[in-house]
Amino acid sequence: MNFKTTQAHEEFRAKVRNFVETEVKPIAFSLDEGNLFPEEAVKKMAEMGLMGIPYPVEYGGAGLDVISYAIAVEELSRVDGGTGVILSAHVSLGSWPIFAYGTEEQKQKYLVPLAKGEKIGSYGLTEPNAGSDAGGTETTAVLKGDHYVLNGGKIFITNAPKADTYVVFAVTTPDIGTRGISAFIVEKGWEGFEFGEHYNKMGIRSSSTAELIFNDVKVPKENLLGKEGQGFKIAMSTLDGGRIGIASQALGIAQGAYENALEYAKERIQFGKPIGFQQSISFKLADMATKLRCARFLIYSAAEMKEHHEPYAMEAAMAKMYASDIALEVTNDALQIFGGSGFMKGMEVERAYRDAKITTIYEGTNEIQRVVIASHLLGKPPKSKGGSSSRPKKPAPVTGIRKCHIFRDGSAEEKVAELVKHLEKDGHDFTVGIPMDTPITQAERVVSAGQGIGAKENMKLIEEVARAAGAAIGSSRPVAETLKYVPLDRYVGMSGQKFTGNLYIACGISGAIQHLKGIKDASTIVAINKNAGAPIFKNCDYGIVGDVMEILPLLAKALDKGEKNPAPPMVKMKRPAPPKPEPIGKRYVCGGCGYEYVPELGDENGEIAPGTLFEKLPEDWVCPECAEGKDMFIEE
Amino acid sequence: MYCVRKVTDNLYWVGANDHRLHLFENIHPIPRGVSYNAYLLLDEKTVLFDTVDWSVCRQLLENLEYLLGDRPLDYLVINHMEPDHGASIEEILLRWPDVKIISTGKAFMLMHQFGFHVDSHEMIEVKEGDTQCFGAHTVTFVSAPMVHWPEAMVTFDTTNGVLFSADAFGSFGALDGKLFADEVNFDRDWLDDARRYLTNIVGKYGPHVQLLLKKAGGILDQIQYICPLHGPVWRKDLMYFIDKYDKWSRYEPEEKGVMIAYASMYGNTEAAAQALAAKLCEKGMTNVWVYDVSNTHVSQLVSESFRFSHIVLASVTYNLGIYPVMHDYLMHIKALNLQHRTFAIVENGSWACKSGDLMQKMIDEEMKNMTVLNERLSLASSLGQGKEGELEQLAAAIIESMEEDKE
Repeated sequence: MNFKTTQAHEEFRAKVRNFVETEVKPIAFSLDEGNLFPEEAVKKMAEMGLMGIPYPVEYGGAGLDVISYAIAVEELSRVDGGTGVILSAHVSLGSWPIFAYGTEEQKQKYLVPLAKGEKIGSYGLTEPNAGSDAGGTETTAVLKGDHYVLNGGKIFITNAPKADTYVVFAVTTPDIGTRGISAFIVEKGWEGFEFGEHYNKMGIRSSSTAELIFNDVKVPKENLLGKEGQGFKIAMSTLDGGRIGIASQALGIAQGAYENALEYAKERIQFGKPIGFQQSISFKLADMATKLRCARFLIYSAAEMKEHHEPYAMEAAMAKMYASDIALEVTNDALQIFGGSGFMKGMEVERAYRDAKITTIYEGTNEIQRVVIASHLLGKPPKSKGGSSSRPKKPAPVTGIRKCHIFRDGSAEEKVAELVKHLEKDGHDFTVGIPMDTPITQAERVVSAGQGIGAKENMKLIEEVARAAGAAIGSSRPVAETLKYVPLDRYVGMSGQKFTGNLYIACGISGAIQHLKGIKDASTIVAINKNAGAPIFKNCDYGIVGDVMEILPLLAKALDKGEKNPAPPMVKMKRPAPPKPEPIGKRYVCGGCGYEYVPELGDENGEIAPGTLFEKLPEDWVCPECAEGKDMFIEE
Repeated sequence: MYCVRKVTDNLYWVGANDHRLHLFENIHPIPRGVSYNAYLLLDEKTVLFDTVDWSVCRQLLENLEYLLGDRPLDYLVINHMEPDHGASIEEILLRWPDVKIISTGKAFMLMHQFGFHVDSHEMIEVKEGDTQCFGAHTVTFVSAPMVHWPEAMVTFDTTNGVLFSADAFGSFGALDGKLFADEVNFDRDWLDDARRYLTNIVGKYGPHVQLLLKKAGGILDQIQYICPLHGPVWRKDLMYFIDKYDKWSRYEPEEKGVMIAYASMYGNTEAAAQALAAKLCEKGMTNVWVYDVSNTHVSQLVSESFRFSHIVLASVTYNLGIYPVMHDYLMHIKALNLQHRTFAIVENGSWACKSGDLMQKMIDEEMKNMTVLNERLSLASSLGQGKEGELEQLAAAIIESMEEDKE
């Protein structure tokens, strides 16, 4: 670029600036105050062709370069940081992975309307236990015939719930870390795909941010983006590009604050002259302008490298890190120049100060940017145990893979109604029942009391639910052994009776391991407990967090279908065996010694990272046991 | 006194039988003994295919002297260097200083390692596809790496269709006069030992056996005789035995049936194993075989594991772990790469029952392509009242999983 943008770039900048000054600036404060998404402005951005700036015209884009895209985000953010990130998340995160990894069909179906701005895109990677370490991803996608079943959730998702198309990352092969993650295109409106509340944020309040919740969402197989196991690669390469967008946003926010401060410094008179001519303020302005110029060059340089398909991950990380770090400094200085006036709501510099903070956090915290940059400088660290990607994940719950569908929304009545609806849908027929004294091992259904039931008279609640559910009564070990509320032969657990029927309703049971082992063959486990952190909730299919005193009477009422008919002989509802991790590649056996190369393990002595396919081994790799070459290996 | 048998024109079995050895490879019991087979071809040149264990070298020498008469031994072909076949090489070299040795590069390396003085002899190193003509007979050499040693090869005589198959297609059991598989009741008297031999000795190397079978598949119509280094020679119904090898090396069960392996200290776990066996038979599955791991040699447990589709592991908890003998058995089938079996678990523990979880973990995490049934019978000390339901469910689950397999 010869350190100068082209005339076309500057004309484009003027066009965007004109738009944002007229369409966004007047409402920016009210958007911020009201936590409002600029629906109209985003529509107009689509009409202007801003929503698909760097994508080819044949896919509905504007066919412009990456620098133009950076300029657009910068200019929007100069006026409103929230509006800037709407574009950044849409173009870099929601659209780019489809552009880069999508099949032609996926591009036609999803990229074209995104690039045209008819649809809004978003990207879901972050989870409560997977922030900087995406290897902690817990959302799962299990292949069932022609579709995947998606379960789990994502947090802090930019453009949700406004966006129509979400690129979502989920674990398809458990226990192998990041290599088990895959990417999916998920549409808003699909059954089981819901949103949490719009977060109330410190800054960028015009950008919508919400939680994604997936409950048995059926994702057609053809919406797998790339191949299974490529998700981490897709996520990381997407973030590389996203960093140019966030760097531009930070630059824009800082640029706006700087311009406001410069203007104010020329106008505000103290000690007989504009404060800008006080050395302390003039030096500040000089530093701010220098930092902005540095940041801009870093960003445009990274954008240009991306445009030319050169490796740019390190440069994008440098740009994002630097631009956002100085955005905090510049907005801070700008507010300082405004003095007390800058501290007042309605001042643009006050908003910029708040908007800037997120830029050092998202798209990879600046600490992670330094990790990225350092890894490019230093290469792989010396081997150590416990890198996140290859660390074995925590074991599955004692009762195996369960739905863990916790009813959270609405009143207690609504939660109970929702639970009963799900149970009936799963095939539990509450017009029939078994006697309450049926031996546990022969019972189709058991309602079980734990210590959470409290005083002995509360056992009548258990009886009522058992009667209404057509179930036998059981208990945890202490309820039978210590409290003696029920005979000893009615406690459920590894040392007691094993329940292998279809429905187990655990009331006030926290879920000690020995108890859980006694119900691991239950087809459906329902948990009712007031402690949301109780292990039973990780081991249940359905759960209600609430006091048994409140929930049980409601449940008895909801299940009551009048006089029960005797239940026909039990038909065990099959529970699918937990899916085994699919091998990531073929194993090969050495013809020189019988050593088996397992791609999941790699070859530590040969410095081959776990997850390396045999086909990808270097040509000069030799068997670690007998030193035969690759050609002596046969497929297992 | 010589003891030889004619295989076909110009080709003689010159090996020997051994009933004195108690443990083959010093690990596997061989109550029926074992044979070490060597073969002598009398063409324009004389060719010895492999030698025998040192313990029976004298018999080999007497056999050779008888058949060779005044002729020299021209060639020694070594297909496999394991000492139960290679130990007598040095003696042959001493007696026939001009004999030329034909083998693979790796086998020559092993001869040096074992201390044989081969350097004063002409050494003909052969590779896959090389041929050698001895007069009327021309042989082709085919490498057979990891069946079950890396240096192994097999030799195919294209003139008369004899395949010198090294350890492949071998069996425990002394021949005792009989030579051909069609001279014995193989299914009745030999199959168990053949299975125990293959699964314990070569079991781990299924993929390489498959590779060899593929190579043999290409010349199947030309093979007239299979001459292994142990056990009978095959000249009829070759496919019967090749099919067995195919199944074993693909780790597919031979039979739909249940092997119940139990580890019991005082008979309580044993009682559960027996009760389960009875339940299975009552439900119509009578191909049930019950083994006490403490007094059944692990080589037999391994062999039976390769035979049946279903394996029930019934183990007491011992030192908070799996009963050591049961653990040893599981380590063996893991090491031998057994796959594609359905397991059911019976666990016992009087205060902290751990064996079931640990066995399941071992199967799930350390073995390949195994299925463990969800249903599990858990005993606290003994199969007490109220456990009938679990026992019934376990038996039903085993039967049901067999029916699923059928589909």
